[in-house]
Amino acid sequence: MSVHLYLSLIPEALIASMLTPEEFGVYYACGSTKKSRGQAIFFEVDPAFRHPELRVEEGIRRCVPHEDGTPKASIYVSVYRVLERVSLDALQKLYLVTKDGRSLGLDPTAELPEETEKLHLYQEIAPVHPLVVSTLGPREFYDLVVKNPTSLLSLPAVCFVELRLDELARDPERGTVRDLPYANMDHLRDCLIDLKTKTVHAKMVDRVHPAAFPYRMIKSGIFVGNEKQIIYFSLPPPEELRARHYRWWRSVNM
Amino acid sequence: MPMFQPWIFLSLLAGVVSVGFAIGLYAWVIRQDAGSKRAQEVASWIREGARSYLRRLYTALTLVAVALGIVIAVVFSFDIEHLGLGTLSFSPARGMSMALAFVAGAVCSALAGYMGMTVAVAANVRSATAANESINRAFSVAFYAGAVMGLAMVGLAVIGMSTIYLVTGDPEIVLGFSFGASSLALLAKAGGGIYTKTADIAADLVGKVEIGIPEDDPRNPAVIADNVGDNVGDVAGMGADIFDSYVASAVAAMLLGAALFAGDKLLQARYTLFPLVLCTLGIVASLIGIQFVRVGKSGKPGRALNSGTIITCVIFAVLMTAVVLLGRYNLGVLWAAAAGLVTGVVIGFTSDYYTSSDFRPVLETARVSGSGAAITIITGYSYGLISIVPSVLGIVVATLLSYFLAERAGISGIYGVGISAVGMLSVSGMIVSADAYGPIVDNARGIAEMAGMPEQVIDATDVLDAAGNTAKAITKGFAISAAALTVLALFAAYAQVVEARGVQLVISLRQPIVIAGVLLGAVTPPLFSALTMLAVTHNAFDMIEEIRRQFRERPGVLAGTEMPDYAACVGLAARGALTSLVFPALLAIVLPLLVGFILGPEALGGFLGGSIFTGVIFALLMSNAGGLWDNAKKFIESGEFGGPGSEAHKASVVGDTVGDPFKDTAGPSLNTLITVMSLVSSLFAPVIAAFHLF
Repeated sequence: MSVHLYLSLIPEALIASMLTPEEFGVYYACGSTKKSRGQAIFFEVDPAFRHPELRVEEGIRRCVPHEDGTPKASIYVSVYRVLERVSLDALQKLYLVTKDGRSLGLDPTAELPEETEKLHLYQEIAPVHPLVVSTLGPREFYDLVVKNPTSLLSLPAVCFVELRLDELARDPERGTVRDLPYANMDHLRDCLIDLKTKTVHAKMVDRVHPAAFPYRMIKSGIFVGNEKQIIYFSLPPPEELRARHYRWWRSVNM
Repeated sequence: MPMFQPWIFLSLLAGVVSVGFAIGLYAWVIRQDAGSKRAQEVASWIREGARSYLRRLYTALTLVAVALGIVIAVVFSFDIEHLGLGTLSFSPARGMSMALAFVAGAVCSALAGYMGMTVAVAANVRSATAANESINRAFSVAFYAGAVMGLAMVGLAVIGMSTIYLVTGDPEIVLGFSFGASSLALLAKAGGGIYTKTADIAADLVGKVEIGIPEDDPRNPAVIADNVGDNVGDVAGMGADIFDSYVASAVAAMLLGAALFAGDKLLQARYTLFPLVLCTLGIVASLIGIQFVRVGKSGKPGRALNSGTIITCVIFAVLMTAVVLLGRYNLGVLWAAAAGLVTGVVIGFTSDYYTSSDFRPVLETARVSGSGAAITIITGYSYGLISIVPSVLGIVVATLLSYFLAERAGISGIYGVGISAVGMLSVSGMIVSADAYGPIVDNARGIAEMAGMPEQVIDATDVLDAAGNTAKAITKGFAISAAALTVLALFAAYAQVVEARGVQLVISLRQPIVIAGVLLGAVTPPLFSALTMLAVTHNAFDMIEEIRRQFRERPGVLAGTEMPDYAACVGLAARGALTSLVFPALLAIVLPLLVGFILGPEALGGFLGGSIFTGVIFALLMSNAGGLWDNAKKFIESGEFGGPGSEAHKASVVGDTVGDPFKDTAGPSLNTLITVMSLVSSLFAPVIAAFHLF
């Protein structure tokens, strides 16, 4: 049984496991008898990846089958400042796992999506996870947060997702909510209106927002960047998801 | 031997044709492609679960039927005509006739339910498979399977009533048939309601809310029990419920005909038999109307079902007019039956207004759900209360119209009320066909999901399922209103039977004994509702623990690598339902007898009045509020007011869960409760008239 390396984002951790990505997704999302469960997002990391401050080798060495021959599900290598230490070149697939353990694997691409709206909603997933609205597109937002911060706040690396705003992106005052499930919608509208009327590029909607978010609200995909580069994991369009990944699609739409 | 036998033979013939047609449709459904091995496997789990429940239910019912049959045989062997007047004779033939009629009623009701469920659990997978070809094909399979239930039900009912009346010529013996049907209906409806909601709530609370797995996901240990519940609750249970009202309305009108026209043998024979004439015409209209139920180019199954109902009603109205005019019946019966028919349709569609996501009540409830579950509950409950008004107005209008139009035409007004109930229920063949279609396509949706059928199949079954929900809502409104008119007629029949024994029945609110009866009657439906809903929560609690246990002890179940133990949940639901319904069912039979024997026939009259009033109100409230919450949730899930996962959705899920036992357990069972209590009272009225403490 080979050992895989996974970079989990909820919570941020580097994990060695003998499970395949799909098996790991089920294990991580559904939990075992220990009852830990919930939505999971993780990258499959190149098994050859090493970092001087992460004891990867030791983790892999300890990742051996149980006495009854069943594979070892997880050896935590690190649970602190992991994202910033993992080279983006080592990231292979990104797995979005639903609460009930359905996995969707996304491949990375260097090409970012085209911007069509003037207002954006970003959920930062790691290392911190506020909910933010911004006038900046994903690349500019990444620049603001990681590469060229204009304030005292900056991150060495970030993983975030742009969430759908639909009509609110064009008309925050009167745009209809339809299927946007966000809590405290009036506050979200106020924040978006502030962006239109004040000279700020980003505004915090919620400081302590849970890192988990409804996958059905993903606008285009997930972005991950550090001081060197940004890569993007594009989510297929809804029709393709329904046709080719029905189980996952159904779980995220309930 | 009754006069005017041609109509009895025609009724008998219509019943046989109806059952024959049902058997033909059954054969057609069975010939359809049963789909892939996986689909058949899933369907077989549902089939086995349903059969195992019915086996247990019918075993228990056999014991009940035998026990009650013996009691009836003994009690009615005494010549009650002269009890209390100083003479007492023993006539075992009459007692045996009554007991046999009772058993026949129970057997016919059970047979109709069994036929309906047998075809439903065969049609579900075939409808899903047909959806791969076209939505029209899938609709036809599901609807014709539903028609098996509808036609078998009316056919067996008419065969039973005609045969007994043909053999005995005594409508009181037919009352025994009705009591048998109602006793079984009460147990089947309440038991099915408890079963279906136990499984539904437990599957949803653990599967959807705790674990986050979608509806009909095969990893959920309760998913098969949930699908079985659709069949035992909505097919067998609802079928037994309408069978009960159908027979009871006809028998009440027959009793009234026999009592009110006692002075003229010819008229007595004509008007005692007239309810069976209407039933016969209803069967003919349903057989024709069913042929018009086609999805066609519109692709809208809801429209097809509604058109079928309207066409059937029109055909029935035309046939009825022709028979009344050509047969030289008093025109009063025509107006009375027409009033009942029109009111039934109007009330059915009014229920649709309060439970459909096309109209304000559901939209408003969905909209305010963003403010939390409490507001959802209050809003839905309030609309549920409002929904009582139009239906009650409909019942009032039907009652008054049928009464005064009959009186004006020179016939007894109360007989008119009885005929209006028969008029309303005469198209039950079509109504039940549309109703039974609902759980079949609901199951088809589940099988498509569990068997991993292509998305176009799931899309098609979604469309079919939505139409089925509307049909169910219409039927519930129809069933409750029909039950209300039926028990009004039974109430009158009770009074006639008591007065025929020489007891002057004065039911006045100035009499404390009557007030006592009214109050006792008024608390019975709420008490019955509470007991059945507590049974659901109690059983759901056990099932929730079982589902959690399976997920906890066998992680492979959720991982999808291990099969859940479906049988454990199916067994829990069945055992729970059957043990929980004993006490509520006993109440229905024992309470009227206690009130009658202790407080007397006038108090019993008050008791029936009180139970009718609160029974109708509670039944309408719970059925409509439950349907409203369900559709408010579905509306939000369709992508409105925040969609799935939003705060509004969470609140609507709470509303839907509260509404589940409202709309599918307590609400619909109340029809049967008030009918059974009225039948028990009418049946035992002669004995009560003779023996009572006060």
